Formats: sequence, C-alpha cells, structure tokens
Amino acid sequence: MRKKALICLVAILLPPELHAKIDLVTLPVRDQVQLTIYNAADLTLVREQRTLTLKQGINRLEFGWADTLIDPTSVYLDAPQHAGKVNLLEVAYPPNVKGSAIWTIESQIAGAVPVDISFFTSGITWRAFYTCTLSTDEKTMRLQNYVRVDNRSGEDYLNAQTRVVVGKIHLLDQIAELAQRHPPYGMPSSIMDYRYAEAQEMIAEEKMMIAAEPPRLFRAAPKKIIKEGLSEYFLYSIEGTETIPNGWGKRLISLDVAKLPVRALYRYDEYRYGNQAQRLLFFKNDKAHHLGETPLPDGKVMIYRQLADKHLSYVAATNTQYIPVEQEVELDLGAARHVKVEPVLMDYRTENYVFDFKGNISGHERIQTWQLKLENNRELPVDIEIFQHFQHPHWTIQNPNNLPGSYEKVDLDTIKYRLTLPARTKEYLLTYTLTLFEGERRRNSR
Amino acid sequence: MKLTTYLIFMTVFSLLLIETSWARIKLVALPEREATVVRLDNPNATLLEEERVLTLQKGLNQVDFSWKEVQIRPDSIRLTVLKQPQAVTVLSVSYPPNEQALIWEIASPSGQQVRVRISYLLNKIDRLVTYQAVVRKDESNLDLSSFLVLRNFSGENLPASRFQLDYGETFESAVLSGETKRMQFFTAKKLPIKKRFTFDAAQLPWDPKQVGDNVGIPVYYELENTTDNGLGKHALWDGKARLYGEDGHGSTLFLGEDNAKFTPVGQPLKLTIGESRDIVVTQRQMRQQRLNERRNAKRNRVVLYDTKETMQVEIENFKEQTVFVTLKEPMPKEWEMKKASHSYKREHNREIHFDITVPAKDKVIVTYSYYRRNIRP
Repeated sequence: MRKKALICLVAILLPPELHAKIDLVTLPVRDQVQLTIYNAADLTLVREQRTLTLKQGINRLEFGWADTLIDPTSVYLDAPQHAGKVNLLEVAYPPNVKGSAIWTIESQIAGAVPVDISFFTSGITWRAFYTCTLSTDEKTMRLQNYVRVDNRSGEDYLNAQTRVVVGKIHLLDQIAELAQRHPPYGMPSSIMDYRYAEAQEMIAEEKMMIAAEPPRLFRAAPKKIIKEGLSEYFLYSIEGTETIPNGWGKRLISLDVAKLPVRALYRYDEYRYGNQAQRLLFFKNDKAHHLGETPLPDGKVMIYRQLADKHLSYVAATNTQYIPVEQEVELDLGAARHVKVEPVLMDYRTENYVFDFKGNISGHERIQTWQLKLENNRELPVDIEIFQHFQHPHWTIQNPNNLPGSYEKVDLDTIKYRLTLPARTKEYLLTYTLTLFEGERRRNSR
Repeated sequence: MKLTTYLIFMTVFSLLLIETSWARIKLVALPEREATVVRLDNPNATLLEEERVLTLQKGLNQVDFSWKEVQIRPDSIRLTVLKQPQAVTVLSVSYPPNEQALIWEIASPSGQQVRVRISYLLNKIDRLVTYQAVVRKDESNLDLSSFLVLRNFSGENLPASRFQLDYGETFESAVLSGETKRMQFFTAKKLPIKKRFTFDAAQLPWDPKQVGDNVGIPVYYELENTTDNGLGKHALWDGKARLYGEDGHGSTLFLGEDNAKFTPVGQPLKLTIGESRDIVVTQRQMRQQRLNERRNAKRNRVVLYDTKETMQVEIENFKEQTVFVTLKEPMPKEWEMKKASHSYKREHNREIHFDITVPAKDKVIVTYSYYRRNIRP
C-alpha cells in the first residue's frame, strides 16, 4: 500500500531571509479540480483551483509534492480572474530538499485570490473498450463503448471534473521518470539518478481492481459523456464530477448503438495472415451506421453473437485502431474455420525462349495455371476477397470468361479477386493463368 | 563549502619559511569579492568573473587562491589587473601539490592597492531554457512564455550575483549550491503559427491497412522568429517546449512537447506536437517498366537499362478543416521526372517534396512517374 500523500501548499508569511522563524500556514483544500487523462502516454494534466490569501507585493509559498507522481517541472500557477496582476516570478528548488519548492508570487492584489495551479502527474490511466453483440443473421450488431479510468497516482481525487483524451501525443520524457527525478531539472552535464522503477512497476502492473463504487447518491440514468475535437485530439468529458480515490478504477459507458449494420468479409492474403482465410467485420463510422459524431478510440473489442434463445456465444476478441469520422472500421475476428481458400498450382510451362548470339538463353516466359479452391461451409452467403502476390512486376493474367467479376490491380505486383459464395458451397474453383516474363522477355510486359 | 572562505592569507607557517629564505616575498590579503558576474552566454560552460582589490607590498607578493569542493576548471583561472597606480607584473602561477589551489606571484614596484578581475570556468552550473505555449482553439496563433532555469551544483554559493545571458542586460539573482531556480524570462502574445502535417515515405509505412494499426502522421506548428510576429529581438534558445491548447471552456489541454531548436532571428521554429490519425496516407507503386536496354559489343548481354516507375499516393483527410500536408518522397540516385500530377520541389537529389492542400473530409491522389536511369544489371 502506497503512503498516501497530499500535495500541500504552505504559505510563508514572512520574507525568505527569516526562513528559520517563519510561520507556516496550510492553505484550504482545493476548491475544484479537473483531470485531463491521456491514454497514449502515462500522463494526466491536473488543473486545480485554490484560493490563496496574498498580500500586495512579493509573497512566498511552499509547494510540496513528496510521495506523489507529479512532474515538478510542469507546475505552473496563473490567476485567470486577475490576469497580469498575479505572477509566479520564480520557483526555487532549495538544496538538499526533496519534493518541495518555494514559489515567489508577485501580486498587485491583497486578499483572497482564486488561482489555477496546473501540473502533470503519472499514475492515472484510462482506456476504451468495446462490447459488440452480433445479431443472429450477422447483419447488424449492438456496439457498446466503455471508458475505464484507473487511479494509481498516490493521490485521491475527490469530485474531480474528469476528461479523457484520445490522441497520439509527442512526449520527450516519461512523466513517471520526471516525477522521480531529483533535482527536478536534473544535474548539469552529469548522469541523472533516475529512480523510477517503483513507479514504472506500479503502472505496468495490469492488476485489475474491482471497481466497487463508493457510496453515492442514487442516479436515474448513467452519466453522459460530452465529446469534442480539439487539434489532433478528441476529448471526452464526463458529466458532473467523479471521485476517484487512489487505487480505484471506474467504468462508464460512452456509446451504445443498438442496430448497427455490419458487413462480413473473408479475406485471404498469405503475406498478412498465412494460409488461412481471415474473418473480418466492417462498418463505417458515419451517420448511416448511427455513428459518425465522434472518432472511435482504439481499444479492445469483445465480440459476441446473439443466439435465438437470448443466450450469447462468444465469437472473438480483437483490438481496434482509432477510427476517424467517416472511416471504415475493420474488425479482425481471426482465422475462419468455416470458409477456406486454397491456391493450387495446376499447370506449369515455360515458353517463348529467346537466345543471344552465343546461343545462351537470354529470356523466357513462365506460364502458371492456378486454381483457387474455395469453400463456404456456413449457413450464410459470404463475401470473399483474395489477394495474390507475384514475384516481380512483369506479368499478365488471362482470366476465364465465366469468372464473376475480374481482378483488381492493387499495386505493381499484387492483385485482388472479390466474389460472393452462396451458403453451403462445398467447392468453387476459380482458375486463372499467370504469365511471368523473365530475362529479356521482361521488355514485353506492360 | 564557500569559495570565499578558501581565499585566504598564506599561513603563518609559510610566513616563517619565507622570512628566513625569501625575505622579499610579501603576503597579500585577498579581500571579499565584488561585482560577481555569472556569464551564461555559452551553453557549454559557465564563466564567473569577480573583482577584488589586492593590497600589494613593494617587491614580490604571493596571492593564494583555493577552491576546495568547488567545481572549477583549474586551467581556466585568469587574473586581469583592472586598476593599478603603478604597473605590476604577474610573474608566475604555481599549483601546490594535493591541493585545489594556485599561487600567483606578483611583482609590484611599490606598496599599492590594485583592482583585479579573477575569472574562471565553473563546472556543474548552467542554465536551461524552457517554453510554455498556449495555442488558440482555432490554431491560428499562440502565446509563448519562456523560462530560465538556473542549476547550480558547482559547490559555490552565489548570493546576490549578476547573471549575464548572451544578449540584453544583466539581472540580479541568487542561487545557492545545490539549488535549481526557474524564473520568468519573456512572454510574447499572439504569435501567428502555421500547422503542417508531414508524410515521410522513407520513414512511415506505405499501406496503413497492411500495418493493421493507425499510422500517425506527424503534426507540427511553425512560427517565425521575426519582429512582425512579436519576436525577433534575439535568438530563441534551444529547450523543452510544452504546448497547451485552449479548450473553449476556460481550461486547456496538453497538446504535446518538443525540443525547440536554437532559432536565430528570422528563422522558423518548428514544434512537433504529436501525430494525426485523421490524415491517412496510402502509397503504392503501380508500375515498373524496363526501357532503353543497351547491349555490349557482342550484343549478347544487356549492360544498361532504365525503368519507368509510377507512384500513387492517396491522402485522405477525415478532419473538418483543410490541411496542409508535405509529402517527402525518396528518389533513386539517377532519375528524371516524366509526369507529376502536382508540382514538387527538389529538396536534394534523393528527395522531392509535394506540398498538398487537402480540403476537409476529402481526399487527393498524387501520382508521379519518373525514369530511373542507367541501371546496371
């Protein structure tokens, strides 16, 4: 159990020359606190409002952060209601003192001044995860998106306005490392003493604590999550405030769409999946799919299928990437058991040899006849996409006339066939002839 | 330990020795230092300059200077005579064994007071510069604050000293040994910025579908260090910059941090904030064709040929704003552009840049074909 420590602000009433004799006054607790939690990095921006009693002129305060996971270099103070009139002139980290700094605040105002204090802490994390429930016919799905916040920062956050951020942030240092660094800005040109193992360990630990809610007032409806975009980030603000004591986690629902149309697809691509067809599920993050208002954060997805008798069957778990508005979501449900694709080389010939003046072979064509053996053992018709990669870009293809839909060129040495197989297709053969031009015959390829 | 306490008279012991052997040698008191200036204008070393008044006697004088537990570079210690009624000569500098000290031997034509400046390089004391920027919600401009961080781990206390940066006036501060101090440096409001996205085809994967995860496109802000932009008075020093964005609700969001590079006046400063996942770039080579085969004298072997290669880059913008994307495309050693759908700039022989504007919720396809010349099989 971590020792619980509060960030403390202490007002020093007398000038610094008289440090030894000064009276220390503990300030009232924070009036309000806002947490902005990132998931791409172990980083939370904390902004708290406190009321400081200042005198006109120079004021000195002590700010302590011992036993927390705060990055001391990130601490700033401003007074938005008295902009320009209250300035944090100087922050001094005295010698031989760990976890404490002296602030020099210049104030043109005497009396109670509400100030914003902001800083970074590590140890608070959030993640998104999804629960998907496919309808029996697999044409629609219920999509639920949850947000889970865990606090292992060493600090209790009571009645905090909580926001979580989706986005890939550029960071130079880990906040957990900065929190453990002493002195806070390191040493000039010498090796820094990083002692953050403890903090790292604590964060890496994926021990799931049961999110038992502390007693609270009864609410008729789950809390709303307000979503908005800002720069390259997306912000989810949880309605009202949350109390997240150190060590606790909290789960909130952020999205619930009942009948989302989905499209199933089976894909065969040896380069990506080996020799098994992959089962995929598609939908678009747009209005037509009852979505499209916000990007979907990356997270774990658990997929179930609704059975006729209201029972569920577990299909698969996967990870989804971040999906911007209007982009298509591709959920990879893993290797398919009921749909098979097997490319078989049925015939091989070499032709059209050319010779140089010495009589040596300088070019030829390799002609391969491939048969793609397809099976659909499901009760539903399925769409299949087959990628074929060639050894080099000098090739042509002859398709049989009866082929439903021809190939599509993906890039210089990749093609793609697409077709629909009816339910319970025991075998379907797709045949094509590939000519590969070798040596000087490559000139003939287009 | 304090340096000043080690600036001492020579000991009585040496006095006796000198009395017997070197009768002419006089001892000199090193008084308290004055006018200490800490020069932080060089990022690699910190220079201390201090003035002292020496009371010299006629003949040879020995001045003892020691720096126990203070991180002085001994070879950097210099003595400059500033004010002398009659010219004195520094005869020698000697380093006593096993001591962090030196002795100046100074010849004076008369008993007099001379003002000297002692300067030396001090290790483990330096300054950092950090930046904090708050970006407007529409990302058109930002407010920049800069902070100076003094770190003194040199062993020398610097009470009430003047600090000199590489421009501007000196300022007074005090920093004890072991202390770190962050001070407000300057603030500049409403600096116009440009937001840019960069796809470097030599660094990033070409097909995000193959990767199976988002390929983040790096995003940066660019601001110019010019007077028009409210800066331009001096170079911006290198240092860590943290960027925050106004959220429109009276609070801010942390956008990211980057190392600001040293930016002289007139030059742009680029600050990467993070990666965009709302811009998706898919690059594919669509064609490679062999051309212009040339043969040896016997005409039995191809010795040289060209290829014609076609590249296709699709940029999708899922954002609700128009974006400016720079495509960095690597090129072969010998090449010749045949056709390009958009204008490009030759950055150097092996790289070209396309600057592409992609409207909101739209996509742009850039294609270009070039000859790769004179390939030897």
